[in-house]
Amino acid sequence: MKTHKILSWPLMLGLCWAINSCKDELGNIPTKEIEKDITGNWKVTQLTRNGENLSKRLKLDNFKIDFKADGTYSIADDLPFVVSGSGKYRLDDPQYPFSVVLSPAAGKDEVVLKFQFPVVNGKRQLSLVMSLGCSSNTYQYDCERLNGGI
Amino acid sequence: MKKYTHYSTYIYWAMGLFLAIFLAQCGLKAISVVVPKSAKANQRVTFTMQCGAEPRIQGGGNYSTQLVAGIMVPKGWNARKNLTMSFSSPKGNGTMRIIPDSELEPVSGLSWHQAAKKMFGIGPNLVDDMEWIVFRSTQAYSFVNNEDIDFTVKAECNVGAENMLVSLGFYIGSSIENLRPEDTDYKKFTFSDAFEVTDGEGDLIDFINPQLGTVQPVKSLDNDIITLAFDGGVTNTVLDHEPAIYLHVKAMDESGKLIAEIKKQTEDTKLRDIGGKKYLIDIWPRGFFKVGKDVHIARLEYFYTDITGTKSVGYGNTDEPFKYTFRCE
Repeated sequence: MKTHKILSWPLMLGLCWAINSCKDELGNIPTKEIEKDITGNWKVTQLTRNGENLSKRLKLDNFKIDFKADGTYSIADDLPFVVSGSGKYRLDDPQYPFSVVLSPAAGKDEVVLKFQFPVVNGKRQLSLVMSLGCSSNTYQYDCERLNGGI
Repeated sequence: MKKYTHYSTYIYWAMGLFLAIFLAQCGLKAISVVVPKSAKANQRVTFTMQCGAEPRIQGGGNYSTQLVAGIMVPKGWNARKNLTMSFSSPKGNGTMRIIPDSELEPVSGLSWHQAAKKMFGIGPNLVDDMEWIVFRSTQAYSFVNNEDIDFTVKAECNVGAENMLVSLGFYIGSSIENLRPEDTDYKKFTFSDAFEVTDGEGDLIDFINPQLGTVQPVKSLDNDIITLAFDGGVTNTVLDHEPAIYLHVKAMDESGKLIAEIKKQTEDTKLRDIGGKKYLIDIWPRGFFKVGKDVHIARLEYFYTDITGTKSVGYGNTDEPFKYTFRCE
């Protein structure tokens, strides 16, 4: 019994060393978040109004938003949106963004749109939440990239 | 020591029995209300509830409680801000205070206002944009056996700025009885006949009558996506046997000038049949009418038609159009 106790000490020490060395290794892995990239031509795949799904009742074919690499966006004419036409956009924080900030070309006030950027069924999804008219009405647009990229 | 524990058990039993007999034999009279037929927008109106207490206390003794009274009104009235309640009775007159939201009704675990909504609902109204507001007397009152009294509760509030037709709700109860679902003696409630608010803003909001035409959301602007619905089950119309229903709609600006009119029967103006003689169409007015950036649609006037456009149904099954005004408040 005593022998066991004595033997277990070096074992414990060895284990501690092993754990510590792992920790060091983990610490060396760079944790810098990759910048979120929302560029692409997005197509609305689901639309809800105050929680009610309108996707099957509306023709979503032309509901498209294009976030271009040069920092400009354009909204399809058929898409009900918080802004119309085209303008410039940026993210509120490139690494940990919560919102996309739209600056309409017509020199109107900036519009801040909350968004989420999850991967759904292996595809990157852009979910935008906004009020189009009255602030009491909330819409959520779930979009997928048109060319299938993630 | 054991003896005393025994006694106290008996006492609790006796109290329980007393309460049970008392509950079964005492109560409130049915409630009746005096509600005017109509009032002008923003006018301050008094609603009167008449009720009575009939204490039948087995073996005598006292029953002490506070008076509870509630009223159900449209949320748009903002009645929580200006509602007052007072009562008059042979035992004295007094004012009542709103029960704070933080105080929960013990049976439901909800605030008294939410508990009343859950218990009494919205009565004959078809659109749920209502709130119950519950008040309580500041003093407690003691009753002895057979001390029957009649009392009156007056609720006063402003009726809001919107034109509407609504049924209002009224409740009277006893503070120590709470809102027990099985109880029918200590909670009396009723709903009024139609009460109309006139000379106000906007189109008439009819909470009571089934509507041939409705718009969702109730409040929206021309950049919202709105749903226009036609309920052919409400009454017989010229469209009764039509296989398809179409929308004929005009958009007007603030001054009433026509911006655009769409009256062609196409796939874009065809309503979706959702069964039960109900049809609906979702439109984004700015896109539907293709209005320019600086043009704002203030209101819509519309009819439902057959495929030829010759048979049409308007507001209340008349030749007058349905009207919808874009507004948020």
